[in-house]
Amino acid sequence: MPETVQLFITCIVDTFYPEIGQAVVSVLERAGVQVEVPKNQTCCGQPAFNAGMRVQAREMAIQTIQVFEAAPGPVVVPSGSCAAMLRHSYPELFAADETWLPRAKALAERTYELTEYLVDILGVTDLGARFPGPLTYHSSCHLLRELGVDRQPKALLGAVQEAGGSPSENFTLVQNLPLPHADECCGFGGVFSVEHPHISAAMLERKIANIESTGAPTVVVCDAGCLMHISGGLHRRGKKPRVMHIAEILAKR
Amino acid sequence: MPDLFHSRIDLSLADVDLQVALDGNAEKRITGRRQAFASIPDYQERRQRAHTVRADVVANLDRYLEQFVQRVQENGFIVHRAADAAQAVQMILEIIRQNQGKLVAKSKTMVSEEINLNHLLEAAGLRVVETDLGEFIVQIRGEKPSHIITPAVHLRRGQVGQTFHEKLGVPLTDSIPEMTAVARKMLREVFLSADIGLSGVNFGVVETGTVCVMTNEGNGRMVTTVPPVHIALMGIERMVPTLDDLALMMSLLPRSATGQKMTVYASLLHGPRRADERDGPTQRHLVLVDNGRSALRTSPLAEILYCIRCGACLNACPIFREIGGHAYVDGKGAGGTYPGPIGSVLSPALFGQAEFGHLARASSLCGACKEACPVDIDLPKLLLRVRAGGTQIETRHTPAHVPGYLDVGLRLFAWVAKSPWRYHTAQKLVGIFSRVVAPSSSWIKLPGMTGWGYSKDFPRPALRPFHEQWSARDKQASQEPVGVRDLPEVEPDSGSIPSAPKLLTSVAERLARFDVELSALDGKFTCCKQTELAEKIWALLQERKITGIMAWEAGSLPAGLLACLREKGIRIVHDPNPQVEAGLTGALAGVAETATLVLPGGPGRPLTASLLPQVHIAVLKAEDIVPDMLTALKLPEVRQSAATALISGPSRTADIEMTLTLGVHGPREVHVFCLVD
Repeated sequence: MPETVQLFITCIVDTFYPEIGQAVVSVLERAGVQVEVPKNQTCCGQPAFNAGMRVQAREMAIQTIQVFEAAPGPVVVPSGSCAAMLRHSYPELFAADETWLPRAKALAERTYELTEYLVDILGVTDLGARFPGPLTYHSSCHLLRELGVDRQPKALLGAVQEAGGSPSENFTLVQNLPLPHADECCGFGGVFSVEHPHISAAMLERKIANIESTGAPTVVVCDAGCLMHISGGLHRRGKKPRVMHIAEILAKR
Repeated sequence: MPDLFHSRIDLSLADVDLQVALDGNAEKRITGRRQAFASIPDYQERRQRAHTVRADVVANLDRYLEQFVQRVQENGFIVHRAADAAQAVQMILEIIRQNQGKLVAKSKTMVSEEINLNHLLEAAGLRVVETDLGEFIVQIRGEKPSHIITPAVHLRRGQVGQTFHEKLGVPLTDSIPEMTAVARKMLREVFLSADIGLSGVNFGVVETGTVCVMTNEGNGRMVTTVPPVHIALMGIERMVPTLDDLALMMSLLPRSATGQKMTVYASLLHGPRRADERDGPTQRHLVLVDNGRSALRTSPLAEILYCIRCGACLNACPIFREIGGHAYVDGKGAGGTYPGPIGSVLSPALFGQAEFGHLARASSLCGACKEACPVDIDLPKLLLRVRAGGTQIETRHTPAHVPGYLDVGLRLFAWVAKSPWRYHTAQKLVGIFSRVVAPSSSWIKLPGMTGWGYSKDFPRPALRPFHEQWSARDKQASQEPVGVRDLPEVEPDSGSIPSAPKLLTSVAERLARFDVELSALDGKFTCCKQTELAEKIWALLQERKITGIMAWEAGSLPAGLLACLREKGIRIVHDPNPQVEAGLTGALAGVAETATLVLPGGPGRPLTASLLPQVHIAVLKAEDIVPDMLTALKLPEVRQSAATALISGPSRTADIEMTLTLGVHGPREVHVFCLVD
């Protein structure tokens, strides 16, 4: 009997990138789990939390906690920063609240970022994906530093087969080109990119230069926030590279 | 958003020289730090231990402070405790007046910046000279330091050359060694004629009452050794309980700050010059400054007091890299003391949420600062707490500094997101509305004033959000789960894990390691027998045409060495003499892992012999090389000395464009003769 996971799709994927949501579902199903998407989920509250508006952040956190309390099993999140919000910031948000702290912690304990869940919990790295390379991988800040997730997405991408060129009997692995300063922030930072657009732009400029230096046509991320930011920057500059969520790569066959 | 902070940021972003300087700083410092930590594989464990040590100090501050003050007083320091900045300045002025002081030679202390000491002393008619090269540069430019470790990091060499030309009247140059030589010459005069030496304190050791001052250029040793009165200025939280803890911090601070295994100099101070000593100040004062620290201990920002002021978070921070230290201004546009991530928490914590709370909003919360912090301070968590109100987290209202548009927008968003129905309706509406705005493109070109639109396009929301697609999904048609091939376990990335350090168990291993480490620091290491020693030293002096040396007394050096050198025509003095070009000392011990010489002062062992001359020659016995810093710190002679100098290679600076230059205030050459009899 396959395990059932609860997908927290996140507001950005839900609203802007439903195709990433579809890819996430197909990747999870291919990995052998059954996916449920609790109906009443909205936003985890990260924008308000990062803005310092804890009153509003709490309202959204309570909504999220309640929705997932009614949905047993692991909670899988396809964005590093939203997963980190549930795992680390909810306990901070309710630190002085006896009622909600245990409930926040209970959710934190069963929350996983997508690649973390696939590799660490399911023990899967090869999903039989095929994608035309080469690829380069940007380490999203919260994923890398708050969740400590780095080898998992790299292992998953390391098992993707090359789909480019002429079909051949001998599969080759897709080329993963190292992104210089991959762990440097792209300048998104949620409300930061709006409050300090000029600093954000300078950081984005450097990220884009690094991406271009690899020559890879595809940049892979595990956070829809970074995806929205970097792809918005590339589009504004008329640059070629395309930013994709890791699930979109893993779902391709 | 035309506030002063934003205007200051824009100035920084438009300053081409500053951008080049900051890029150079970030690149060199981040690489340097990573390389330095590769030599201690248990780095993460040490970091956690350091966090625990600092947490303990802050949690039990009163008890530790009481013990520390008692020990320091027993050692011979005169201790002053200042509740706030004004009191600290008053106390320092009083000490200076009592000693009829006119000229104050100062080494780096961030606390002095915090209490605005220089200006207030100058206003009282005193001459105050900064002696750290970077501090000296910003002082003559009339600026504040832009970095807590490298104060002139915002400048390029050409700008420094121009400043020296204009302010000091020297010929225009962009040669860093030439500029360094100019500063050395000028500041040497200051050290020798100053009535007061004023330093900061890196660590106060509770169990021994040791005051530890660490510098690279040698100015820290100068101001704590040469002027007749030494005043040490210390934030009350800068204690560590034991020598073990000091050794731990010594392994972390220099690596984090400048990528060095050890600073060139560390002075371990216990008290004033003793009756039988030839140098050292006759008075040592310790001014302990609270200035808001005690109050912070019980606030949500208490963790910021764990900071050991290494500056690694500044170097790692992508925002600091863009805007530089001078952009971290208060609400009135005046420069703050502490820039970067640490400053964005510390300034509002100590000097006011209203004045400095906005700084914490200039962060993408990427966590590079936490990752770089050698005591693992959770800076993103603290930055978020400052955003939420700082020492008083707002649980009912929107805190100050949240821009109005964000307040309105996020309140609305929260109201929408609290109700799935409103949320789904809103998604539907933006999906439709965005197609009116951008009918033919999947991108929306927002205007620059929206913030986002300044540098990027905005994706057009989907007409059918994911949840809607999911609801409609035909469950029957859903893919059957496919079998997943079994694969070997993913191996953790082993490439970056360095091999365990060799235990330096034998004398030969320790000697070899000392040699390697000293050479890496541009020091010279020579093994010889005692019978060859005088000849080798004489040859070295001959080669440099040096005819006179300042030496330890015969009783503290190998028997017959001085007599032998005298016979060969070398003049020998023992009293501090700035004209002499070489100094000859012994060494109590050498530390293999950092090539550190341990030189306790005392009768017949003037500390200035290893400080004033251009060339320092040290004689070390092979069996006195100990494996690590802790062993050296625990030697009883260190504890018993009024002052001990730890010396790791020649005096150095990288204050101009991160470019390493040797021989700033201390010796330019360090020669260690190791006796292997």
